[in-house]
Amino acid sequence: MTPEAFRGYWQDTLGALTRWPARPEIDVLPLRSIAFATLYGVRLTSLGPYRLFGYLSIPTGTGPFPAIYYPPKYQSVLEIIPQGTANLQRSRYITFSLAGRGQRNADTPFAAMFPGLLTEGIDDVASYIFRGIAADAVRGLEFLLTRRELDAARVVVVGNDLALITAALTSGATRVVTTPALFYETTALAPKTQAYPLEEVNDYLRMFPARAEAVRRTLAYFDLRAFAPRVTATTLVMAGARGTLLDGPALRPLLTALGGQATVHDSEQSSYRDGLYAERWMAAQCGISDVEATLPEHWRTG
Amino acid sequence: MPMPVSAEYRSKVHKPDDFDAFWDDVLRQASAIPLDAEVVPDPLRTSDDVEVFQVFYTSLERVRIAAWYCRPERRAERTPAILLLPGYQMDPPIPKEWARKGYIALSVAPRGKLRSNRQFNPGYPNLLTHNIVDRHTYAYRGFYVDTWRGIDFLLSRSEVDPTRIGVTGSSQGGGLTITTAAMRSQVRAAAAGAPYLCGFMDAIELTHTYPYEEINDYLRLHPDRRPEVEETLAYFDGISFADRISCPIIVNIGLQDNVCPPETGYALFDRIGAKDKQLYPYDGHGHEAGRIGSSRAISWGGR
Repeated sequence: MTPEAFRGYWQDTLGALTRWPARPEIDVLPLRSIAFATLYGVRLTSLGPYRLFGYLSIPTGTGPFPAIYYPPKYQSVLEIIPQGTANLQRSRYITFSLAGRGQRNADTPFAAMFPGLLTEGIDDVASYIFRGIAADAVRGLEFLLTRRELDAARVVVVGNDLALITAALTSGATRVVTTPALFYETTALAPKTQAYPLEEVNDYLRMFPARAEAVRRTLAYFDLRAFAPRVTATTLVMAGARGTLLDGPALRPLLTALGGQATVHDSEQSSYRDGLYAERWMAAQCGISDVEATLPEHWRTG
Repeated sequence: MPMPVSAEYRSKVHKPDDFDAFWDDVLRQASAIPLDAEVVPDPLRTSDDVEVFQVFYTSLERVRIAAWYCRPERRAERTPAILLLPGYQMDPPIPKEWARKGYIALSVAPRGKLRSNRQFNPGYPNLLTHNIVDRHTYAYRGFYVDTWRGIDFLLSRSEVDPTRIGVTGSSQGGGLTITTAAMRSQVRAAAAGAPYLCGFMDAIELTHTYPYEEINDYLRLHPDRRPEVEETLAYFDGISFADRISCPIIVNIGLQDNVCPPETGYALFDRIGAKDKQLYPYDGHGHEAGRIGSSRAISWGGR
């Protein structure tokens, strides 16, 4: 794949997205609203056209507030904020989590399977499901940036590979926290593991060996190294523990290719230590001084 | 480091007097429903060393339950089996890894989970509070039975050694491990990580993170319903089930768990009835409860 082909593919995708206005519907969800934040259910249109769903939380007060955008995860469930995150995070940040096509609340007409989504249409880059999901992720950030309560200088995109892809495809992300899992050297790394989600690629190629070249071609359009030079946001890369498939040394080429300032955190094999690092990094980047107040109770020091 | 967690925490869970009668009645209803199991080969997911099948069986209220079933290509005539139970938000995994260790493995998707949500789909969030004011229709009534029927399925398989069936899971899977070990005497060993569904009413005061926060959300909107909520949850609390467990069991907890407060893990462990029980508290660890690096799990010699 040439750089021109990569650029053309994504220009075409984003061009097609612009033909579909978002037409958001925003409704208060009283059950999940609290004194310090109001929660909204958001429906909006993406490429296809396809109707998506997201949870938007706005802190009480005048703002402007920093924002955290959670693009689609690789799971069927859409969370308001990630499991285990202090609900008080919603008092300091605007949060917006988006279900991409196929996830719950955005699973009509297409209901994604997990495992299964990673190889849905993977033998044709024009119809590969992640073309649409990347467009969904972009549409979600575009929507978030329309909120008047938002401080456009403090917008963090947090997620897996899609966080980085979103930041590369559209402007507006000032910070990125990415945990690569799907699209970093996938063709080379999948045969080295038997663990899902990359095992999906192994399953697929075992069943359809004649499609190997088509799969390799498609995945080249989604490889994070190709997106990296376009990412100018300050980025935190959450790497696997040393010796794992996606550890710091393995991700070194990605880090050096990033267009903005980058930091890598090697997993300490503790969701507490890794999570605390990311929460503090985000708070520091967003100028939030009382980070303790946004931590889960069992992570606080006092 | 965070403040130390007290191992002396005393849970407020009170086991209802008619707890056994309630569940005996549920089991009676379930036992009248044929399992009607289908085992469908899945060639896409099958590899040289592991055969993969999609399994479907019928549970309470005739809800059809999906599961992944893996067996080692090379195995003994009678092979030990493991029931794997899923977390709250996770999609039940294909348990090839367990099959590669030599087990026959069943990974269940209880009602509401992907592939088991055609007849029942309260959503996530929402499952935790679905009909929470009525123990006879609360979401977890059927959800628990769906997992117990997984043991029935394993027992129906000729390749499974019925004397070597274990159960394991983490988070919600840990809580379901507790309830399954309590309600199926055929379970010979259990390993629960970061058990959820244990000490519900304690947890909603100890932490304000989802998914437990769903209950706080509900009570904030409906404060008048608190007595009914407390009454229902006492029948579903893993701590209420714990004294029925007699098989060897290990419990792993993370002392900085931001989802399932470690205090509830201690309280649960205290109530477990088994003589052979071990608690592994992992300091410096969160909800993974040490699972990534060093967590203990079931093993049988001579597998």
